[in-house]
Amino acid sequence: MEGGDPEPRDPGAAPASSLFNISMVKLHQSLRHVEPNLRHLVLVANTLRRMQDQMQREARGPDSPEAPSVVDSPAPVSDSRDSGLEPCRQPPSDSQGDDLLLSTMDTSISTILEDLGQVEVLSPARPEEEQPLAGASGARQEPARTSAPCLGPLELLSSASYLLEDGLEDIFEDIDTSMYDCDLWSPTSLSGFKAFSGAEDSDSKALAGAEDRLDMSDLDYLMDVLVGGHAL
Amino acid sequence: MAGVAGGGGGGGGNDFQWCFSQVKGAIDEDVAEADIISTVEFNYSGDLLATGDKGGRVVIFQREQENKSRPHSRGEYNVYSTFQSHEPEFDYLKSLEIEEKINKIRWLPQQNAAHFLLSTNDKTIKLWKISERDKRAEGYNLKDEDGRLRDPFRITSLRVPILKPMDLMVEASPRRIFANAHTYHINSISVNSDHETYLSADDLRINLWHLEITDRSFNIVDIKPANMEELTEVITAAEFHPHHCNVFVYSSSKGTIRLCDMRSSALCDRHSKFFEEPEDPSSRSFFSEIISSISDVKFSHSGRYMMTRDYLSVKVWDLNMENRPVETYQVHEYLRSKLCSLYENDCIFDKFECCWNGSDR
Repeated sequence: MEGGDPEPRDPGAAPASSLFNISMVKLHQSLRHVEPNLRHLVLVANTLRRMQDQMQREARGPDSPEAPSVVDSPAPVSDSRDSGLEPCRQPPSDSQGDDLLLSTMDTSISTILEDLGQVEVLSPARPEEEQPLAGASGARQEPARTSAPCLGPLELLSSASYLLEDGLEDIFEDIDTSMYDCDLWSPTSLSGFKAFSGAEDSDSKALAGAEDRLDMSDLDYLMDVLVGGHAL
Repeated sequence: MAGVAGGGGGGGGNDFQWCFSQVKGAIDEDVAEADIISTVEFNYSGDLLATGDKGGRVVIFQREQENKSRPHSRGEYNVYSTFQSHEPEFDYLKSLEIEEKINKIRWLPQQNAAHFLLSTNDKTIKLWKISERDKRAEGYNLKDEDGRLRDPFRITSLRVPILKPMDLMVEASPRRIFANAHTYHINSISVNSDHETYLSADDLRINLWHLEITDRSFNIVDIKPANMEELTEVITAAEFHPHHCNVFVYSSSKGTIRLCDMRSSALCDRHSKFFEEPEDPSSRSFFSEIISSISDVKFSHSGRYMMTRDYLSVKVWDLNMENRPVETYQVHEYLRSKLCSLYENDCIFDKFECCWNGSDR
């Protein structure tokens, strides 16, 4: 965006996607500090909310907010983090910018939520139940829940707040440690390596098939390194 | 760099001509980060001007007495005292460094020959005493001129020490340290009209202190939500009323001012008055809230009005009218069309201060 770029003439227009992205970046940066500048954080978050509301309104089109809420998408909720995305997900509209904008929004929000997931998973919002609310009021008065999940970064503050609280275990919940389970790395399992790699990694299976001996020794070497590291 | 503006009478009517009277500090481009001035405050008489910088230093300027040989000079300000108020600290619990940057300085009303001021960084407030020494005593009985103690048994006669003039020395000494009362960053301090108490405000809380007591403070405002994810507003400035020691105001990032009366309850979460100007729908934009965020609030000396500063304007409010200001001044309206770029480079978050002149004009 160039400097001096005029404001959108229509105050009701959705923001340019670059503006939205910039805001997301700012929010991210703010949250990265151990002690974020609260005023900056709050102002950016509120500005983002305004933009999102505007974008949602635009995506719903010029028809009344009472129209069957398009937010009611039956997208499967795979884990509680994604549930926060429900209210923000919109079906692609005709406007060419929208697809890009909305997918960018989704990506950005997911990024923030991933960071969040390390500290505390979003309180699982139940999107199906909240859709009628969102559709009916279409307004800013909806409970913080519906809009907050999109801007859950502030939850980061509540749990990390300024002192680390008890939820420390939660930080590591989502890390998959099954790869490092001891029995898999015992020497006896090395002979069955081919089977092991076949189960865990389809790529290495393809590799092993093509040039057996060479790849086996490579993988053996790797295993040794890893086992050695694990032993440390 | 500090600029001290001297006002001169204008050509006609009420027009003031403003011009720079003095500029203190380095003019070249390369200014060390630590020298950047972060706060400025005159004392009550205007004879002293205190500046705080990012390096935690306070420099006080004193106005020279006007003399007849230079009748046009309004009195130049020269360095009076320099001292290190705050040092960088390390918070081991949170593993972060607390900046030594001075956020605010407030003078106490003068009660004797010495001057007192409060200076604060993000977390700690300090009371400093600045005193002059222009005489020293000579002819002690128990001490040599070098300061070595004399053997009392050797003293055969007593003498009265005499006071001799010496070069003026200005000393600053920390008298009180008010620490560990703020979780968030302190943005304001304000001395009460009772001259005994003062308040300190951070993003979410305001505490009341007694100047003599450093290990205790009272929390009088707390806007921290139960869940931080519901946080939508922070405190940006706070000030005591100049005459009513039970009244204070605080401003928010949403452009509102709340007036509170400490007599109504111990925790002033419910305001007595709420000042907010409705948003002008024609100038609404995504940045409306950011530019409405109030960065400073000051009562007039009369106590009848208060002035607030937001990003683009200064507003004067009558305390008896809550729904809109009585006067609004656009300070740099030309920036309104550039809000987008100012947002990108974070300049839109800059804070400005405001103040009344001596006669509230």
